[in-house]
Amino acid sequence: MSTESTPALLKGVAGVDAVRTGGPAPAGPPARSPRARSTTAYLRYAAGKLAGAAVSLFAVLVTSFFLFRLIPGDPVKQMTGGRQVSTEQIAAMRREFGLDLPLWQQFTEYCGKALTGDFGTSYQFRAPVMDKITEALPATLLLTGTAFVIYTAIGIWLGARSAWRNGSAGDRFHTAFALTLYSVPSFWLGLLLIVTLSVGIGPVPGMFPTGGMESGGGSGLAHVLDVAHHMVLPVVTLVAVEYARTLLVMRSSLLDEMGSDYLTTARAKGLRDDLVRRRHAVPNAMLPTVTLLFVNLGNTVAGAILVETVFSWPGLGGLFYQALSVPDLPLVQALFFVFAAAVILMNTLADVIYPLLDPRVGR
Amino acid sequence: MVTRFPSRSFRPPGRRLRILLASGAAALALAAGSVVLGSPFGPSPQEAQAADGKSTLTVAVAQSVDSLSPFLAQRLVSTSIHRLMYDYLTNYDAKDSRTIPGLATEWETSADKLTWTYTIRSDSKWSDGEKATAEDAAWTFNKMMTDEGAATSNGSFVGNFKKVTATGPDKLVIELKQPQATMTALDVPIVPRHVWEKVGDFSKFNNDTKFPVVGNGPFILTDYKVDSYVKLKANKDFWRGAPKFDELVFRYYKDQDAAVAALRKGEVSFVAGSPSLTPAQAESLKTTDNIKVNDAPGRRFYALATNPGARTKDGQKFGDGHPALLDQKVRRALFMAVDRTAIIDKVFQGYAMEGEGYIPPRYGSYFWKPTAGQKLAYDPAKAAALLDEAGYRKNSAGKRTGKDGKALDFRILCHATDPNDKAIGKYLQEWWGDLGIGLKVDCLDNVSDPWYAGEYDLAFDGWSVNPDPDFVMSIHTCAALPAKAKESAATDNFICDKQYDELYAKQLAEYDPAKRADLVKQMESRLYDTGYMNVMAYPNAVEAYRTDQIESITTMPSDAGNIYGQDGYWSWWSAVPADGASGGSSGDGGSSTGVLIGVGVAVAVLAGGGLLFAMRRRSTAEDRE
Amino acid sequence: MTTTTDAAPAPGPRALTWARRRQAAGRFWQQYRGHRAGLVGLAVLAVIALTALAAPLLVGEGSRSVTAAPGGPLESPSAGFPLGTDQFGRSLLALLVWGTRVSLTVGLLAAFLSVAIGTLVGITAGHFKGWYGNIVMRITDWFLVMPTLVLAIALATVLSRSVWTTILAIGVTTWPTTARLVRAQTLSVESRPYIERSKALGGGHGHIMSRHVLPNVMPLVLAQTTLVISTAILTEATLAFLGLGDPTIVSWGGLLQDAREAGAVSSGNWWYLAPPGLAIAVVALAFTLCGRTVESVLNPKLGVSR
Repeated sequence: MSTESTPALLKGVAGVDAVRTGGPAPAGPPARSPRARSTTAYLRYAAGKLAGAAVSLFAVLVTSFFLFRLIPGDPVKQMTGGRQVSTEQIAAMRREFGLDLPLWQQFTEYCGKALTGDFGTSYQFRAPVMDKITEALPATLLLTGTAFVIYTAIGIWLGARSAWRNGSAGDRFHTAFALTLYSVPSFWLGLLLIVTLSVGIGPVPGMFPTGGMESGGGSGLAHVLDVAHHMVLPVVTLVAVEYARTLLVMRSSLLDEMGSDYLTTARAKGLRDDLVRRRHAVPNAMLPTVTLLFVNLGNTVAGAILVETVFSWPGLGGLFYQALSVPDLPLVQALFFVFAAAVILMNTLADVIYPLLDPRVGR
Repeated sequence: MVTRFPSRSFRPPGRRLRILLASGAAALALAAGSVVLGSPFGPSPQEAQAADGKSTLTVAVAQSVDSLSPFLAQRLVSTSIHRLMYDYLTNYDAKDSRTIPGLATEWETSADKLTWTYTIRSDSKWSDGEKATAEDAAWTFNKMMTDEGAATSNGSFVGNFKKVTATGPDKLVIELKQPQATMTALDVPIVPRHVWEKVGDFSKFNNDTKFPVVGNGPFILTDYKVDSYVKLKANKDFWRGAPKFDELVFRYYKDQDAAVAALRKGEVSFVAGSPSLTPAQAESLKTTDNIKVNDAPGRRFYALATNPGARTKDGQKFGDGHPALLDQKVRRALFMAVDRTAIIDKVFQGYAMEGEGYIPPRYGSYFWKPTAGQKLAYDPAKAAALLDEAGYRKNSAGKRTGKDGKALDFRILCHATDPNDKAIGKYLQEWWGDLGIGLKVDCLDNVSDPWYAGEYDLAFDGWSVNPDPDFVMSIHTCAALPAKAKESAATDNFICDKQYDELYAKQLAEYDPAKRADLVKQMESRLYDTGYMNVMAYPNAVEAYRTDQIESITTMPSDAGNIYGQDGYWSWWSAVPADGASGGSSGDGGSSTGVLIGVGVAVAVLAGGGLLFAMRRRSTAEDRE
Repeated sequence: MTTTTDAAPAPGPRALTWARRRQAAGRFWQQYRGHRAGLVGLAVLAVIALTALAAPLLVGEGSRSVTAAPGGPLESPSAGFPLGTDQFGRSLLALLVWGTRVSLTVGLLAAFLSVAIGTLVGITAGHFKGWYGNIVMRITDWFLVMPTLVLAIALATVLSRSVWTTILAIGVTTWPTTARLVRAQTLSVESRPYIERSKALGGGHGHIMSRHVLPNVMPLVLAQTTLVISTAILTEATLAFLGLGDPTIVSWGGLLQDAREAGAVSSGNWWYLAPPGLAIAVVALAFTLCGRTVESVLNPKLGVSR
């Protein structure tokens, strides 16, 4: 039961819970999933997970279509803005974007095209939605990917230490520090970082760019360095507010492990404390954490909306916000789908490879 | 019970220190070695610039480009860039906005005013070496007239065109269906036919596939990165003379504060503001070295519109505007309870002028002021009296009620993205609250829907006025009303007034500027009296630039005018780089040692972390053997 | 789950049940007292709740008025205005105090809504296993993978701007976690023998769910609520910051949005920017600390440090 309440701690960890209770994937001690031992059973399990993911993706597709139809506003009026347009022009635009069709027909068309990766044409950019997304995707992946690697490293490292030294000054400090940063609104932290480190305050000079991903110009190494320079503050912001999750889950799963009988046995054998930790506790405790990592990665993509907004990062988050205010329906739908799909895919990936990673299963 | 393992007993000496160190390291990593990174960044961007010798002017903009195709672009940033890339037939003088030659050197109209003949200049060349001719202009207009997709952004200009032909390389003839006053204000970018002929679908082509983009304006577009920047280089062969800056970059900042911060640091040379800098930003920039704040009379008016009862051209009523607002006394009372000086002082903090007539004072010849007897001056007592007179008296609870006993409660439409709307909404709530009137401030991202549907009582309204006032006047005529209920139409606020319409028709036919101006003023007077459009303020254009990067720049109008969003290309074309300086654009791209150190630190931290894990892994593996 | 509240062993006298529950609560409090972090969180919350309740007395009703604003625009901190003034000349300290009310109210109501939905769904899904439970849990799983923030933003955009929209947006996007937890707990409670006994004695579905299951999941729900509140307060601030809140209401997120719109960031007006964010962080942290403590009291294995 304890594993149940751990993830409840933090909303983003929710996915772990689903993964761990959802199927036969082992949640606790290894011996609970005998089925995963045999290959065929595993394949059946994996196929089930993939099928589930496909159903979820479809459900998301449906939601993305209908949810945003509720946004008040006629897209054609939005597109024409305050300009004078003839009724024929309006009719032509409706035809162009397929808005003259009945809703169900629009829906089937949307689904059919979405399967081929075609999400239609953006109202405001007059470009294929997929083009806009593939343009913005690298920026988001770069930002979230970098942040992900760093906060995962910090989170696991500090989480393991904290758990092993449960109750010590170091543990208390880390937990408190992480929880504090976790409670901080990310956009606020970003703004403060801009005020202090980017604009400069008092004796502190402005050292980092205030926004954007690149200054433009330069190639090769200079370009890489330029982007790296622009990335520092957004990455720091993301890492600061995100690493607490990893830390806390790593910490609690290691604490769980520490209560296990096999560790007592290991200790009883007279193994060194360090060795017990490295050899037994940490690898086992890593399992739930690994699951969490995938879920984190999926969520971070969506969670970057704020950071991207504050730092003018040209990624998906900024695009989503921009598209919502128009509302640029095709773009909003597609982005919503992409965000949800990221989480679903990561969850499924975690589900599928979880049994493979478990050292106590099928090694 | 805490844990089964009192870990204390397992801890070898010295452990505690390591944990503390570890946490310290983590905290440091979080600060991202900023301290280490910092100091080498001291050198100002100008120095970094001098090395590469090119002068760059970087403009921070708050809008992202919607399309680089002049046939599709609608946003101000995009149309401003098109002004720089392509020459238009005519231009506006920087001094007084009168029409001056552009691609066309002269023009004449037939006696019946239906045929216009433009002479195209012979010294304008496309950047690929071809000559720009009347053929290009004719092709551009014809494309807009025949291809629905090409009419997206400027279709309204050609709606009244009958036929456009090039009768020679330098002669463009436009035949009209009806006389059109805006024939010397055709703000349409003329594109090179030989390039654009190859475009298939104009509704999808965004002109961002091949760089540099062929053009004949003062600048040539060389690079574009979505949501990041647009880069242009000076057109050395431009017929009016080459721009002084070698390179012009428009960089997109989602956040205005970030843009201002970038200006402070010299990352950008100019900040436009969206639509202008906030008073706080302007105040703090004023006291900053090397930064000049350009505070100029704006071209916008900012008004309080009341729903006059939405209806179609045929008189079919729709929407749910408050019936009380159909009473002129109520409209006047409401406006008389609006303290316009407080709005200027508190909300705009002096960066605006008090509203009078419909057209801002910047356009001197059309500017009109109510007479002393006509003016609805701020006077809450008189407003209360007017409401009493109209039959809305205060009840025991201090709320005004109509004859039906229902409390007087209004809604006001506000743009969620406009801080001024929200701020003034708060004031209105209190002022009108004192009068006994309730107000609900409805802030929406998308106000146009309830607006077109006539589902509002009051609304914050504002237009940017062109040198020629025809458009902003036309949106209050009966002809602008929608054909069908809730359909989008040219009308701004469903105003339909016979007297106003008569004046409008008269001014349209009047070709004598002074007489036309007088008619326009009469229309403004009539509009003022109806109380449907109450202008509260003319917000200033507040923008700022770095004087250590830009030595001089032309505003429009040249004395006390704005820089961004001009009707011509004067500002960027005329900007003179300051000595040895240029915009910061490539400044931080110049990879000073600081970046190297910063990246080094980051890499070290990462590598260290990775190594730690790797070692841990390995030792575990070894242990297993 | 190692709960501290003992379940009523048999349909005995109501008084006895209550006595047992009181006892359990007493035990719970005794253990809670042992956690310093939890106590700190509780103390902070008490202070903040008092501030919110006493706001009209502390700073006066008129402090939100823009027409009667006492100061100049964006004054830096002084004796008269300890935190400076906003762009209308209102005291930021007063606004911060007023903001406490909205942020707490939204946080509490949204969390209540979220947990209420979650508990209802969880208990019913756990109780009625069959097709109902299956379908409901499918929906829950599906909600679980929706990116919360994206969904909340979408909802806030779809609906009109008001406090209720914010509450609704947070409430309907955060319930699935609670539902899962409560369902698991329900399953474990229902597997206990006394439920069988109760059924045998003729206890209906409603009776079992409300008399036996609900009291037993309450501690879990309590812990969950405290944790969801901190999420809700953060989300409220986020939505307000993105301009999706009601602009005429003073809230912490709204203050941050106002600060940004006034240009406080680039003007270096840190006194405008820092306090609302700090307040959000402190309250969110306090709720998190309480929630963690409640959790660890209920489940000592988690070992929150003393």
